[in-house]
Amino acid sequence: MSDHWTRGFAFRAAILAFALFALTIPKSANAVPSYARQTGLACEACHTVFPALTAFGRTFKASGYTLFNTLKVQDIDKLAHSTLSLSDLPPVSAMVMASQSLEAKANDENSSKASTDFPQQASLFYAGRISDNIGAFIQITYDDQSGSFGIDNTDIRFADVTKIDGHSVIYGVSLNNNPTVQDLWNTVPAWGQPFIASPALQSPVAGAQIQGALSGGVAGLSAYTFVDQAFYAEAGVYRSALQGASVAFDGDQNNNVISGVAPYWRLAYEWDFGNHSLEVGTFGMYAELQNPTTPAGGAINGSLQHAPTDRFLDASFDTQYQYTDDETQISLTAAWIHEHQDLSASFAEDLSTNPSDNLDSYNVVASYFWHRKLGATFGFFGVNGSNDPIYFGTINGSPNSTWGLFEIDYLPWLNVKLGLQYTAYIKFDGATSNYDGLGRNASDNDLLFGYLWVAF
Amino acid sequence: MKKLFVTVFATAIFGAPCATAADNSPTASAEGIATSTCQSCHGALGNSVSSTFPRLNGQQADYIAAQLNNFRSHSRSDPHARAYMWGMASQLDDKTIAALAQYYASQAPTIPQKGGALAAQGAALFANGAPAQNMPPCQSCHGEHAEGNGVFPRLAGQHADYLKKQLEAFRSSLRESDVMHVESKDMTDSQIEALVSYLAND
Repeated sequence: MSDHWTRGFAFRAAILAFALFALTIPKSANAVPSYARQTGLACEACHTVFPALTAFGRTFKASGYTLFNTLKVQDIDKLAHSTLSLSDLPPVSAMVMASQSLEAKANDENSSKASTDFPQQASLFYAGRISDNIGAFIQITYDDQSGSFGIDNTDIRFADVTKIDGHSVIYGVSLNNNPTVQDLWNTVPAWGQPFIASPALQSPVAGAQIQGALSGGVAGLSAYTFVDQAFYAEAGVYRSALQGASVAFDGDQNNNVISGVAPYWRLAYEWDFGNHSLEVGTFGMYAELQNPTTPAGGAINGSLQHAPTDRFLDASFDTQYQYTDDETQISLTAAWIHEHQDLSASFAEDLSTNPSDNLDSYNVVASYFWHRKLGATFGFFGVNGSNDPIYFGTINGSPNSTWGLFEIDYLPWLNVKLGLQYTAYIKFDGATSNYDGLGRNASDNDLLFGYLWVAF
Repeated sequence: MKKLFVTVFATAIFGAPCATAADNSPTASAEGIATSTCQSCHGALGNSVSSTFPRLNGQQADYIAAQLNNFRSHSRSDPHARAYMWGMASQLDDKTIAALAQYYASQAPTIPQKGGALAAQGAALFANGAPAQNMPPCQSCHGEHAEGNGVFPRLAGQHADYLKKQLEAFRSSLRESDVMHVESKDMTDSQIEALVSYLAND
């Protein structure tokens, strides 16, 4: 067996392992009709075009999903204090996605270029007000790649509003399972473009931790405030809360376990003027991961009692511009995430070439919709990082990838979206051609993806 | 500003001061609803920034109350009424509607940005109407300075795009009003532009 073949096989196995790992990450973005039923507001109040939020949608979310315009089941005590305030109907919604994908070139001689996913994803939501100051977004998703139901994005929050020195101050606490899922803008990983992607799309090996690597396997608690619907500040911590495993009782077999807590921050400022809205902000987190895995598929399996850690500092800058009126909905978003990777644990185990690496992930996306009915989206995405053959596992050691996205959408109703999306890779895992050593080019991963997305 | 930030974070951590018994009056309740809910679209004190949502500051109380009643009973059913206000008004009682109307009526109105030849045409149309089109003077109902009168709304200082869309909606009967449909049915686009230029502030 040639060394070349062995290296290629190992590389593909690592990619497959990463792809399978990535597929377990909840990455759906959603619009939830139970909020519309609860508030009596049409989708357009909270969404430019679902799932992107309007300024009002951001306020609704920050206010704890508690705005309520229907009948309640209520009780009070002798002092007329509320002791019960239930919805007369549970805020339940459903969502179904179905899709057809066509890849430029099949992965190998035994694979097909085309794949059909029905349902690609089916979700049930409990999304709405729980009491006067508590609301939830809880998603349970059937994913056709895993063939099972699982806990998806979850955000339970307490919120209230008060007036201080003439300023409107929303403040609250969010308990959630995915860093940035609690955020209000469509620049962050949990809610950014593309809002939906093909299960068959090959993803680059490298990505920052905050870009979904921890989603679903953590519990985060953060406090936030939103002043005059303009200034937003949030600080919190995340701990590992692995699904299907207990860190406490099965430590030596669990990977990527956060050591202690991972601090998370978010600052943003939004200017709303006329029909325009402009946001600039920063978000990030610092996570020390015990028993880390590497993008190349390497893993450390040891005791968590005194385990060395890889340490990741993610610092991001984001900006969003929206123009919204009845006829035109324009959105421009950009985000840049810089990650410093201190790979002490991996380096000591010969799982990385360098003791530390850097990674930059960026995206710029422009979207135009006409009457919330017809739309087009252009996006440019990229990852650049240190050359580290062992850690990233790419042939030339580079994790660099760049790709573009073009999508057209048609919404016959506000809660039904038909989309046709094309992803074109310029560079994939460090090279434009022969990136895997077996002759596969970046453009072979180009993919045409047609989908139906309904929420009801 | 420093004081505000300290207070904000203290509030975020320890919670807001408890409401007092005095806060249970309809007026205090209306202010609470306005601050926590209406403000999200209609702006602080009713001075909205987006032309999708009308300014309410200084609006006639009777007009606001009449519209909230219309939203609640679904007797006003233009697209934005359905999309936004049917839901928002559905659980309001008469006392709260009256208090909300009074709250916004008592806020200082926005002053129109008059000026230019187009605005002068609009001023003439507003004052004199267009007899050839059987269009009576707007000021006969809306007041000499477009300040409104009872159920006839203040127009001065409203968003230009909002005024334009309302006139177009009256003209096509998308927004139901017999009086305003008669007034606007023969109105040309250029007359609407002139009126809006005279009345609005954007």
